[in-house]
Amino acid sequence: MSDNKRKILEMLENGKISGDEAYRLISAIDGGETGQKDSARESQSTSDTAVKGKAKYLRVTVLPGDKHTDPEHADRVNVRVPMSLIRAGIKLTSLIPQEALDKANSALKEKGINFDVRSIKAEDIEELIDALGDMQVDVETAKGDCVKVFVE
Amino acid sequence: MSWPPMLMHIRIKNKDTKFGLWLPLFLLFPIALVIFIILSPFILIGVIVLWNSGWGRMALFALRAAFVACWSLRGLKVDVRKPDEFVSISII
Repeated sequence: MSDNKRKILEMLENGKISGDEAYRLISAIDGGETGQKDSARESQSTSDTAVKGKAKYLRVTVLPGDKHTDPEHADRVNVRVPMSLIRAGIKLTSLIPQEALDKANSALKEKGINFDVRSIKAEDIEELIDALGDMQVDVETAKGDCVKVFVE
Repeated sequence: MSWPPMLMHIRIKNKDTKFGLWLPLFLLFPIALVIFIILSPFILIGVIVLWNSGWGRMALFALRAAFVACWSLRGLKVDVRKPDEFVSISII
């Protein structure tokens, strides 16, 4: 029995891991090549995520879907906005005067959203933009138009 | 390294008109630079005068942000099509 398997069994005996987890760990050790393939796949997916994280464009498309009543005469929209432009635009929001921010706050409060827009900091915005890499919005309208908002 | 926008392609078509324009932005850069150099003393004086009120710093920040926004326009594409008309703007 290898040291790794012994350690897993000891952890199971001490109650640090469940039986199911122990089985999976031992299977992974026994897997050998399979395990290596899995880790390679995992590292591939991690690199994919890293690539996905470096989003370059925000895309908004409106296209006629399969269920559209008249796809020939449907409106089509295709917008591609560079993320760097969005960043620059968001930085420009810091030029908004205090009074306007107060008005925005009170308007949000009227709608039932208790949020202070002045509390948004540049670091938060950077984090938000980085997180956009995983965002995708799909909406299908009653007419059959397919609206997609995603990052590529 | 990101490059500034070089060309702007505008296409507009409706029932009455059909219009297409390739705008060479790279030819406008030297003109913009000359205008900026001519205006820079006035901008500097304005910033110095307004510095104490806080607006000078804001003006500098706005200038920089506007420059960055213009620089980041490369890759922007807006394409809206209807059955008989369309508007397309792309910055390359």
